[in-house]
Amino acid sequence: MQARTAKTILICEDDENLRQLIRVVIGAGYHVVEASDGDEALELAGEHHPDLIILDLMMPRVSGMDVLRRLHQDGGPTGTHIVVMSAWPDADGAALEAGADAFLQKPFEPDALTAIVNDVLGEPAA
Amino acid sequence: MRLRSISLSSRILVASIVLAVIVAGVFALLIHAILTLDDAREREAHSKEVTAATVVLEKLVVDLETGLRGTVLSLDRSFLEPWDAAVKELPGRFRGLEELVAGDPAQLRRVRAVRTAINNYVNDFARPLVDIARDAPAVVRSAVATEEGQRRVDEIRSQFDQLLATEDARAEASAESATTQSRRAIIIGVVALLLSALLILLFGLYLRRSMAKPVREVATAASSLAGGDLSVRLEEGGPGEVGELTSAFNNMAEELERRGRELQSQNEMLRESEHRKSELIRIVSHELRTPLASILGFTSVLLTRDVGEEEQRQYLEIIDREGRRLSALLNDFLDAERADEGHLQLEPELIDVGRVVAEQVRLFEGQSDKHTLDMDLRARPLPVHGDAHRLAQVVGNLLSNAIKYSPEGGTVQVVAEQDDGLVRVSVRDEGLGIPDELQENVFAKFFRGDAPASGIPGSGLGLTIARSVVEAHGGRMNFESGRGKGSVFWLELPKAAGG
Repeated sequence: MQARTAKTILICEDDENLRQLIRVVIGAGYHVVEASDGDEALELAGEHHPDLIILDLMMPRVSGMDVLRRLHQDGGPTGTHIVVMSAWPDADGAALEAGADAFLQKPFEPDALTAIVNDVLGEPAA
Repeated sequence: MRLRSISLSSRILVASIVLAVIVAGVFALLIHAILTLDDAREREAHSKEVTAATVVLEKLVVDLETGLRGTVLSLDRSFLEPWDAAVKELPGRFRGLEELVAGDPAQLRRVRAVRTAINNYVNDFARPLVDIARDAPAVVRSAVATEEGQRRVDEIRSQFDQLLATEDARAEASAESATTQSRRAIIIGVVALLLSALLILLFGLYLRRSMAKPVREVATAASSLAGGDLSVRLEEGGPGEVGELTSAFNNMAEELERRGRELQSQNEMLRESEHRKSELIRIVSHELRTPLASILGFTSVLLTRDVGEEEQRQYLEIIDREGRRLSALLNDFLDAERADEGHLQLEPELIDVGRVVAEQVRLFEGQSDKHTLDMDLRARPLPVHGDAHRLAQVVGNLLSNAIKYSPEGGTVQVVAEQDDGLVRVSVRDEGLGIPDELQENVFAKFFRGDAPASGIPGSGLGLTIARSVVEAHGGRMNFESGRGKGSVFWLELPKAAGG
């Protein structure tokens, strides 16, 4: 368990390699929770109230887009930022419309992800 | 209906001939009536000629009597001049009258009787009386002589009267006949005119009904057809050519509609294929981007950050694995393209399919902790003359699908067996199954059914390639499935003879 001061990040991505990459890129200093499908993502979002959700769109069972919609249906995730990450080249518009705060196209620049995380959550707790 | 099969042109020909015959018959009747009328007029004129000739003769007889009486009373020979002239004229006049009545035996008889009576009067009475008058005027002036002369002349007059009366009757009959004939000719003419007009009208109506109306209907229907209404049809039937016309029109409309539908379905297929192609580009780019994201991401991390030796190795392994995945994906695209064009390359050798299956099952066993792989390979060895690498690819694809499409986990049952010269491999899962409406497209290129919506990854090429590989080996591949009932995919290959 991390200290209470550490911000929580939920990574929703079905590809294990990419989960690891995201973890490595955002670095230590955050409380990281991981989901490999849409169901798990919704469950963990409800449980942990993450400060940031990094959401892949194409996941088994419940797609990232449905996760996004459902999170907003439940009164909106107060204080939760959502970054959508997808290999679909033309998904940015729909994602932003559905309530995402930012969109990252796969493959992504690690620095771009770090910048977004820092921008949204501030510098990580040491 | 035999009558229906008679062609319209034959009908029109027959109707025209009938009309012509009727009109000709009617006019023949009319001409006959006019000729009869002429004949009656001629006979009337002839009777008048006979009457005139008779009257001239009667006058000659009066001249004879007058001359005779004058001579007897006055004993003046000059009174005999008109008598002589009349006697001389008589034979010529009689010949003329006899010629006129030559065709009428009764009148001819009467004319000859008058002639005889006049001759007798001239020769037996008048001439002797003139000779006696010179010697004994008293005798010729006696009552007996006068009465005898009067009696003979009266006799002759009465014969003339009979002749004239008969001829008058004849003339009257002829005139009456002429009137009747002329009335009949007028009636026949009027009736013939009305009848001909009626027949021509009926013929016109028939032409209108049997030709003009159907032709107009065809024209209207053709306009609708030209206007784009391909469903328009005519009521078939009608005599001869009209029947042919309507049925030819309907065939044409049918053919146009069929071609229209064909074009439409070709269009839909083109649109579908166009849609698939753009879907393919999306899929390819998506499928390439995911491994590429790992490769570029970890490379960037390795290049820009301080990473421990152990992590370095792990990241490189990921880069290597994802690079291979990328390469395999590209091979899949190329294979699908080759399979499409029938250029799939095989390197066949004698192999044991059981071994290929066992290797693949071992490879997939470690990939999912939710699935149990149950393998039945009791019938080994399963000799097949085939390309071990390609067949491994096929079995791997079936196993991968069985796992992917049963996201809740469960048992995947793999059976390899031989039967009747065939080696059969089947892979059964307890997963989502394939709804009936999607089954016909399962082996189509890039077809993924509900998979994209369910977030199940894939290129939609695996089964296309798998079936092409099996068919290139002379085998066949198919499946049984239903929504929520899981699926069984199976393949059959010819068993190698040497095994």
